[in-house]
Amino acid sequence: MTAISIKNLSKVFPIPFRRERITAVRHLSLDVEPGQVYGLLGPNGSGKSTTMKIVLGLVSPSAGQTEIFGRDSREVESREEVGFLPENPYFYKFLTGEETLHFYGKICGLKGAKLKERTSELLNLVGLEHARDRRLGGYSKGMLQRVGLAQALIQQPRLLVLDEPTAGVDPAGSREIRDLILDFKKRGITVLLCSHLLSQVQEICDRIGILHQGKLVREGRLDELISIESQTEIILENATPDVLAQVHALLSKSGARVISERKPQTTLENFFLEVTNPPKN
Amino acid sequence: MVAAVLLVFGAIKLPLELELTAEHRAAFFHGARLNLSLRQQIGQAGFLAALGGFRALVADGLWIQAHIDWTRTEWGKMLFLFNNVTALEPRNVMFWDMSAWHMAYNASAAAINDPTEPYLAVRMRRQHEYFMIGRDLLVRGVQNNPDKYKLYESLATVDRDKLEDHCDAAVEFKKAGSFPDSPDYNRRFAAYELAHCPGHEMEAYKELVRLYNMGVNERLPTVYKELKDLQEELNIPEAQRIKIPESELPKHKIPP
Amino acid sequence: MHESTLPARETPSLPPTPRHVFFSPSRIWAIATNTQLELYRLKVFYFLLIFALLIIGSSAFMIDFTFQEQFQLIKDVSLGAMSIFTWLLAVLATAMLLPKDIEDRTLYTILAKPVPRFEYLIGKLLGVLLMLLVSTLLMSVIFVIALYGREQMAIGDTMRAASAMMPGQLQSQLNDIKESTFTWSLIPGIILIYIKAALFASLTLFISTFASSWIFTIMVSVACYFIGHLQGVARDYWLGNGFGSPAASPLARIFLALVALIFPDLQLFNLVDDIVAGNSIKMELFAKTAALGGLYTCIYLLVAYFVFASKEL
Repeated sequence: MTAISIKNLSKVFPIPFRRERITAVRHLSLDVEPGQVYGLLGPNGSGKSTTMKIVLGLVSPSAGQTEIFGRDSREVESREEVGFLPENPYFYKFLTGEETLHFYGKICGLKGAKLKERTSELLNLVGLEHARDRRLGGYSKGMLQRVGLAQALIQQPRLLVLDEPTAGVDPAGSREIRDLILDFKKRGITVLLCSHLLSQVQEICDRIGILHQGKLVREGRLDELISIESQTEIILENATPDVLAQVHALLSKSGARVISERKPQTTLENFFLEVTNPPKN
Repeated sequence: MVAAVLLVFGAIKLPLELELTAEHRAAFFHGARLNLSLRQQIGQAGFLAALGGFRALVADGLWIQAHIDWTRTEWGKMLFLFNNVTALEPRNVMFWDMSAWHMAYNASAAAINDPTEPYLAVRMRRQHEYFMIGRDLLVRGVQNNPDKYKLYESLATVDRDKLEDHCDAAVEFKKAGSFPDSPDYNRRFAAYELAHCPGHEMEAYKELVRLYNMGVNERLPTVYKELKDLQEELNIPEAQRIKIPESELPKHKIPP
Repeated sequence: MHESTLPARETPSLPPTPRHVFFSPSRIWAIATNTQLELYRLKVFYFLLIFALLIIGSSAFMIDFTFQEQFQLIKDVSLGAMSIFTWLLAVLATAMLLPKDIEDRTLYTILAKPVPRFEYLIGKLLGVLLMLLVSTLLMSVIFVIALYGREQMAIGDTMRAASAMMPGQLQSQLNDIKESTFTWSLIPGIILIYIKAALFASLTLFISTFASSWIFTIMVSVACYFIGHLQGVARDYWLGNGFGSPAASPLARIFLALVALIFPDLQLFNLVDDIVAGNSIKMELFAKTAALGGLYTCIYLLVAYFVFASKEL
């Protein structure tokens, strides 16, 4: 059974007081398998948010069907298995971190000791134990995103839908969130992710789908889509000039051609993190 | 869909509202029949507030204004305000009662003692006009509050003390006394007034005897005095007369 | 592919799919208590401070009046203030609920959980109704305390003047004082003030489901307040009750009919004025009026649900 099944989905928005209509999504079909991290990409206005909202039952489709683990998205019970983190969420500023998770837990049917236990577990997981009694009004952006992840997980869903989970978050926070997503994947949770930060998507997604003007233009395994088939990358350590000369000699005899040769670089992100938050040992 | 629900519900609730409104009116609620002339008098904001369910506050505001005008003895303005207040709150006995008191007692006293008017006849006429204005307020008050004893009592008092109309006073005291929550004295006052209403002396006498027979609580000095006077006036046979001990008669002269 | 820097842990197996509960009072209650908390922390209770000051202030400058006049003024001012403040609280608190949740995107996080839209609406309205109940109770307590204080002063003054009174007159005056202060007959009037506010909370919720901004919601609610008080007049005019012949032109008739059918007759809920004047209300009449108010509240909630259920979020 697929985690998310989208079949021939279309959505048209009428414009009030005018004859024209906006087609946000056209004949979209895609499947997300359980346990995958799927990246839904596309420029602004490509229909990503609309598709996500239809999957979550917040918007109704004009045509086609969406299902979560075999249940129609329009049914409330399909959302027993989903956790959602919207873009730039604010939550209730007057609640503390703990109270926020309690609230979401209660509306998912959790109560009593079980709810308290789950809350503590999640606060630990997202690294907000120290701020559990602080009101959300005093949280940083990164902390808000993490509490958002925690509430999405409160009822132990099999599917997470994350809309721009690292937007506006500093590099350290962003790293932590991405690590969490990979951790979710290890636990078997399916993740549907929308993001503009393509380098981050590249890091964590298994499959991607690219939307443009409401249509799915490319879709498939990430490594297959972006690998340059005809090229191979080999990184050497401690290679002396002699060895390098031999490699060049071997290559010149074969049909292969050296395209570039240089010292590999660490990423700016890793450099930044090392400088601002050096490892403990 | 929404419009359909609202209209269907509207059709259902309309008869309910009509029925409730009728029941409310029958129980004397929402006494003010707001109409345009009242609007002109109070002004737009007041009208809206009155309609917004704050009749009482508007009436109270006007009442406070009338109180201030009283300290300046502006009787004409007071009457104007009294008419508006009682129009807004016709079921408020206190407003009728005190408005009538201001006119029949205070304004009339000011009129008879008016130092700017040299002619007694004119002063007496004006005094009488104020008596009648006060009386009229009480008559209208009673029309709006036929279920309360207080205004009947006040009306009877004005008839007795100011207009010296003992016959009307007798009827009104009797009406006041017929209510279960009325003080006892209204019954007695009805009998006293009847005694001074020409042609009704025997009726008054029978009523006083009935009161006397009710027991020692009713045997007050004035009852004794009226009995004594009527027994002599009606030539009641000695054997049937009630014995009036001299010690029970009032010590001071009772005004007629 | 980057590897997670988090410590490795056992991968627990995911729990089985929970069974969905179609109607859950505990879900509604969670939303209701959360809404209440939100409203209290919005400093909505500062309104009550103003109310308390109004009552205390109003009784301070009335020494010149008879005690009956004083009691009447305290009652009219307090109950009038209670009426306007509960209505105002109902409209303002409710007008902000939906727009705020949509703007902060918390609505998405709630509806993305297995929470049906009707439970969300009921929970929100219930939260407002509970807040209104607490506010009404608090205001009533302050009101009764103010009356009691004045009553004690009046009794004290009367007792001091007792020696100059006729027999029976002292008791009669004390009775008058007792009747002028707090009587149980005021309670139905206060309950109807609350019900009117509840009706408006529900109506405002309905308007906010399709309104473009919360200012629009408030303006329409206020307009409904005035129209509602005139509805009785419009209805009578349409049906020709007490106005001689009914309105002549068909356009006028349609307009009046629409007003009479769609808007509530708010005058039916304004009974405190008459109760203060000494008219107590029979239980049966009170029950019917209260039931009508309850019915309105439910109908407005129902139409709010119809609009909200099909709203694209």
